[in-house]
Amino acid sequence: MKLLTHNLLSLHVRGVGPRGFPLRLQAAEVRINPVEFNPDFVARMIPKVEWAALLEAVDTLHLVEVPKGPIERYEHDEKFLRQMHHVLLEVDVLEGTLQCPESGCLFPISCGIPNMLLSDEETKT
Amino acid sequence: MDSDHQSSYKLNKTEKKFLRKQIKARHTLLRHEGIETVSYATQSLVVANGGLGNNVSRNQLVPVLEKCGLVDALLMPPSKPYSFVRYKTAEEAKEAYVTLNGKEIVDDLGQKIILYLNFVEKAQWKELGLQALPPGLMVVEEIISSEDEKILLESVNWTEDIDNHNGQKCLKHRRVKHFGYEFRYENNNVDKDKPLPGGLPDIWDSILEKWLKEGFIKHKPDQLTVNQYEPGHGIPAHIDTHSAFEDEIVSLSLGSEIVMDFKHPDGVTVPVMLPRRSLLVMTGESRYLWTHGITPRKFDTVQASKGHRSGIITSDVGDLTLSKRGIRTSFTFRKVRQTPCNCSYPLVCDSQMKETPPSFPESAREASQLEREYVHRVYEEIAEHFSSTRHTPWPRVVDFLKALPSGSLVADVGCGNGKYLGINKELYMVGCDRSQNLVGICRERHLEALVGDALAVPLRSGSWDACISIAVTHHLSTAERRVAALQELVRLLRPGGMALIYVWAMEQEYKKKKSKYLRENRLRQGKEEEIHSDAAEPGSLGEQVPDAGDQDAPCRVSAVTDVRAGGGSASKVTDAKLPVHTNRTSFRSQDLLVPWHRKGNPGRDEPVGATESRAPGPVFHRYYHVFCAGELEEACRTLSHVRVLQSYYDQGNWCVVLQKV
Repeated sequence: MKLLTHNLLSLHVRGVGPRGFPLRLQAAEVRINPVEFNPDFVARMIPKVEWAALLEAVDTLHLVEVPKGPIERYEHDEKFLRQMHHVLLEVDVLEGTLQCPESGCLFPISCGIPNMLLSDEETKT
Repeated sequence: MDSDHQSSYKLNKTEKKFLRKQIKARHTLLRHEGIETVSYATQSLVVANGGLGNNVSRNQLVPVLEKCGLVDALLMPPSKPYSFVRYKTAEEAKEAYVTLNGKEIVDDLGQKIILYLNFVEKAQWKELGLQALPPGLMVVEEIISSEDEKILLESVNWTEDIDNHNGQKCLKHRRVKHFGYEFRYENNNVDKDKPLPGGLPDIWDSILEKWLKEGFIKHKPDQLTVNQYEPGHGIPAHIDTHSAFEDEIVSLSLGSEIVMDFKHPDGVTVPVMLPRRSLLVMTGESRYLWTHGITPRKFDTVQASKGHRSGIITSDVGDLTLSKRGIRTSFTFRKVRQTPCNCSYPLVCDSQMKETPPSFPESAREASQLEREYVHRVYEEIAEHFSSTRHTPWPRVVDFLKALPSGSLVADVGCGNGKYLGINKELYMVGCDRSQNLVGICRERHLEALVGDALAVPLRSGSWDACISIAVTHHLSTAERRVAALQELVRLLRPGGMALIYVWAMEQEYKKKKSKYLRENRLRQGKEEEIHSDAAEPGSLGEQVPDAGDQDAPCRVSAVTDVRAGGGSASKVTDAKLPVHTNRTSFRSQDLLVPWHRKGNPGRDEPVGATESRAPGPVFHRYYHVFCAGELEEACRTLSHVRVLQSYYDQGNWCVVLQKV
């Protein structure tokens, strides 16, 4: 699971509170996967990132330094973009857990796959 | 006609009677057969009472007709009490009309019949379409020599048989003997726990070995039924009980040839000639789906020319004649099944129809259970095989993805094996699927995916530039749930974002285009494994076939009305039980179970629809709600903040592109 994906994960179940984001990440196994750098692509991702959630995730993983927010004219800042590229797309969480901030429920990540299925009691359709 | 005065009264009466009969024949032909007779002389005549249908054979009729002139052609439609003769000249036809009208001949049964002739414009008979042998059927000719035939027939000891009919000579019923296992006619099954002592008679050992070696049969049978048919005996059309016997059923015909009728559930009948000393081999579709039977009669309509070849009786009515039946003894060899049948023809399978069929859900809980059992569990089991058949992305879905601006965030809800996740490298696509195994396959391909439910997609609201939902919504079992799934897609979209939705259509024929599916089915003789493949489902390039009239059939648009009824889902459905669909036949219901036949080699990449002949694997049933025209669009229109941009039909699917406003 890439950190960009983590940034997009949220629990949204009807009838169960609005705040299912962000999911608290605990990682047991992390791998770095090299991905081809595409500055334009990364630049387009930046507006979509929820920074607070990203910082929190990066913090728990004890990873490299991450900018506290998008800097001015980031689209043309290669250093910035490369940093973001690395954090968002190259960090891969293989094993770990995700915790719902609302309910405290834990969801496993195994083989890089988060399993977000809610048990029957939690599902209210 | 006659000058004798005294007898002229009688003749007049006879004459009148004759005329009446001739007129009657004329009217009958017109009214029932559409045959129009004319009062002027032509080359062609219809010969009433001179047909195969009333036991007049070609061999009898031809000499009678040839006395009047040169016979150009004699058309004897099967089962009809008349035939057509065309003479070289109208003069000769006239001669026949005069001399043969009222002529008495003797039919094949020795009965006297009178011929009535009338002129017709043309000797016409509707040409029957080209028929193919039922798939999986084979007739091996002259598999036994005449000497062996004699020995084998004599080896059957009928007298020691404990006759069901209390020692009576069986006139009405054929005589039967069983070896290996006794076949019980009460339930058309064998008692697997009570094998008969002695097994199969020794005399068959070497013959069966030979057949095995030469590849006529693949398995050694352990059950033998000997049937003796006298002329006039038959056996009603039936399918040999699926749970009783394995796939291969072979039948040796000794003593006489016979015509056996094979019938497909769609109504097609194929008469097959089984020559004397031939072996009939029934496998696959011909064994599991087609019925076979022998009409109780004393004559069969067969090909006149070139003796009695095996195979389909010709539909060339110029070449048909009657063949008197002799005493035929059939030796049917079968292998008793020890496990329930798992064929691909569940509608006619007693093993598969036995399990309590699931019914239409009446509550959200039942719906959830149904989907768990007949969607989620199945996909987990078949993931590998399923994925191997889902490798070709649909062009129009690809177009949708490729048209999205670079850097778009796209969610694929119900991503399956990730077929679409890597299509456009300029996008950031995340897949979500209910099946752990399928998501695992995405992962193997280095694609981002997670396990989640389409009714509670674990992704951020209002953040996605686009969503796709390809062949997913039709797995939800109530209208309410289907709409909820669509609602989820809209929730994910940012304002202005677009969603592409594909669902399986009930109507498989569109704009009069005949589906490939049925044509492929007919051509695939002997390759019955392909018939129960998944090739005809969404995700492949094949299409399903509907009933001819389905295009205009009124279709219940369930989505809107049911939701407005307050979540009621089963209220409008008359039949609560879910029907099991037979692959490659028409859809008869919107809510159904579709079989998936898993092949023996999971993980091996197989091209769609092409398989080698392999032992059949287990069958899984998946729940589907197929959509009617307009149903998906209607459902989308009930959603708030949505505009339907496109609505179209693509490869057996109804499709919608919507935009969040």
